[in-house]
Amino acid sequence: MKFSDLLHLSISNLKRRKLRTFLTVLGVLIGTASIVVMVSLGIGQSELQMELISSSQSLTTISIYSNSMYGISSDGSQSSEEKQLTDETITEFTRLPHVTGASPMLRYGVIAKQGAYENTYMTLVGVSREYLENIPLAEGSLPEPGDTRLQLIYGNEIIRDFNNAKTGAGYWTTGEEPDVDLVNRPVFIIFDRDKYYQSQSSGQQDSSGDGSGDVTPVTPPKKYIIPTAGIVDGSSGSYQYSYSVYCDVEALKTQLKTIFRKNPIPGQPTNKKGKPYSYFIYDQAEVYVDDMDHVKEVQDLITGMGYQANSNIEWVESSQKQMQTQQAVLGGIGAVSLFVAAIGIANTMMMSIYERTKEIGVMKVLGCDMGNIRDMFLLESGFIGLLGGVAGILLSYGISKVINVLYVKQQMEQAMMAGYSFTGGDISRIPLWLTGLAMVFAVLVGMLAGFFPAKRAMKLSPLAAIRNE
Amino acid sequence: MTGSPAEKKRMIEVRDLYKIYRVGDNKVYALNGVSFDIYKGEFVAVVGTSGSGKSTLLNLMAGLEPPTKGSILVAGKRIDQMSEEKLVAFRRNNVGFIFQSYNLLNTMNGLENVAMPLMFRGVPKARREQAAMKYMKLMNVQDQAKHMPNQMSGGQQQRIGIARAMVVEPKIIFADEPTGNLDSHTTMDVLRLMQKLVHEQKQTIVMVTHDNQLASYADKQIRIVDGKIVSIEYSDRGREIEGDALEEETRISMGDRTEKTEDGGTADETKD
Repeated sequence: MKFSDLLHLSISNLKRRKLRTFLTVLGVLIGTASIVVMVSLGIGQSELQMELISSSQSLTTISIYSNSMYGISSDGSQSSEEKQLTDETITEFTRLPHVTGASPMLRYGVIAKQGAYENTYMTLVGVSREYLENIPLAEGSLPEPGDTRLQLIYGNEIIRDFNNAKTGAGYWTTGEEPDVDLVNRPVFIIFDRDKYYQSQSSGQQDSSGDGSGDVTPVTPPKKYIIPTAGIVDGSSGSYQYSYSVYCDVEALKTQLKTIFRKNPIPGQPTNKKGKPYSYFIYDQAEVYVDDMDHVKEVQDLITGMGYQANSNIEWVESSQKQMQTQQAVLGGIGAVSLFVAAIGIANTMMMSIYERTKEIGVMKVLGCDMGNIRDMFLLESGFIGLLGGVAGILLSYGISKVINVLYVKQQMEQAMMAGYSFTGGDISRIPLWLTGLAMVFAVLVGMLAGFFPAKRAMKLSPLAAIRNE
Repeated sequence: MTGSPAEKKRMIEVRDLYKIYRVGDNKVYALNGVSFDIYKGEFVAVVGTSGSGKSTLLNLMAGLEPPTKGSILVAGKRIDQMSEEKLVAFRRNNVGFIFQSYNLLNTMNGLENVAMPLMFRGVPKARREQAAMKYMKLMNVQDQAKHMPNQMSGGQQQRIGIARAMVVEPKIIFADEPTGNLDSHTTMDVLRLMQKLVHEQKQTIVMVTHDNQLASYADKQIRIVDGKIVSIEYSDRGREIEGDALEEETRISMGDRTEKTEDGGTADETKD
């Protein structure tokens, strides 16, 4: 028997009992729609979370720390062969497979002053040009590539760290933004913090009259006016760059060298004799990987080289695993209704077979192959599945749209109340693979439900055709 | 046309056939040692009262149920040992079947019903409907091609049924009380058609009936009582249906028939 004839027979049988077919299809429709919507919610939620993570922190970035921070290796003993993060190692990192770039992070604590206000804990972070280019700017622009002068990019929240030098009052105690303008008025930077404090305390010691006499008054260190290149744009809701001050690492190094000359630079480790190294040692570096899938691999490589490497990937993986469980639970809830629909299909097919016992008998007497009879019923139930699947997916798209509109509206209202701009996306997402999978699944469920009825039809006795009612 | 049976090809060979049903602890011998032959081109009537085993015999010959004991050869093939799958295929290729209650499929029109057995063989739609139309013309029901079975009279439905049996050009046609649901006038009509098939198309037909009078139109009558053959009678060429008994309408259809026979003749040649 030709497949087209088989298909034609099946469809005309379905048409014969329109209401019953419709009701059975309705069951599959609801089952499919509930699975698709449930899974789409799961997907939406996990994708939203991923977007949140990647917007606040790059998922392809690995942070690297030297195992020998503060000159002490992880096992607590002083090691002469400690792994240091130097320019050399940074270049080494860039040669690793899948690595697109690397940036050192040279942190240096300074004191910033403007008018009556000062920030005694301001940290300058010297990074590569590439890193700077990734920082979103609200004002100003990056220094020209050839410009070797030190220029600073301030985090948008840094103003709040300025306190009144005399009263000690600041934003965190008074709630008022300090009167500091980082762009239009000069900011004085003191690089030699130790000397600054020494000069202040030596003045006091003199007045108390210590008597030792050999304390020579320390001259206060030089203040530098460092131009401001720009202010970080914090409107995205991400605070990643908000509390630091960024600058080009080479410019920072040059500046520090000119200030301290042969003297040890604070924060930089010294060798056993207490002499500074001739090169800079970074306490942190960042490595950029081309794809999220390679992060783990690169991270393991770097750990193998003797460094401490951290990335978001472990956290992302564990949260993804959690999301998958959640998705499975949601899908399971939807699957229950599809299971009920499958029972409905089986029931419909059984009834149909009882009604058509004689017809099937006639077909068998006239030489219709048993396999063909089975296939005919399988096609019928598969067709019910297909119709229900298609209609269910259409319905899911509708429901998904409604959910998203309501969700976005609610989130917007919440965001307005909290006073930040809404950046989230849809909560219900139906990717193409879900559509395809749902369709295949619906047809499969239909055929599976129709399998035993179809087998039963195949085995019906042809004598049914002979019996006269 | 009908020579002596010995010269002809044996179409069905039944030997020592038993069919025993168990009803509780009792054994019921539906067929109790039956042997006979049916030859090509014969119109055979199996006659018996209700419960005589005649229907069981037909079912066994058509391979609808297996015998308890004995052998059945149809068209040179042992069908008593065949699996159900093979029996279906055997029927598809060798057997036509006419039912008492016509058994047309209500979802299909006349033409599709006739063409259905060819569909089971996988013949393309255009070709099978062409063949179906040919036999519908032969049965003089070509005007019912687009009608659904519930729009037809009993006689028309049975003619469609016969056309459906013929369309596969079977080696043998089984007919189970083919006129059981028809009035006497239509009965004659249908019987005449069957005679025509045998005599003009060289068809072999085995008909089951409880009516002695109907059986007398066959070439050969196998009489069954309580599962045993009591007599096998030959009439050289069945009984002719008397012209007087026919009404005007029937005569017209007879006229039609002669025309159609010519059609059938040419069709026969293309067939072979």
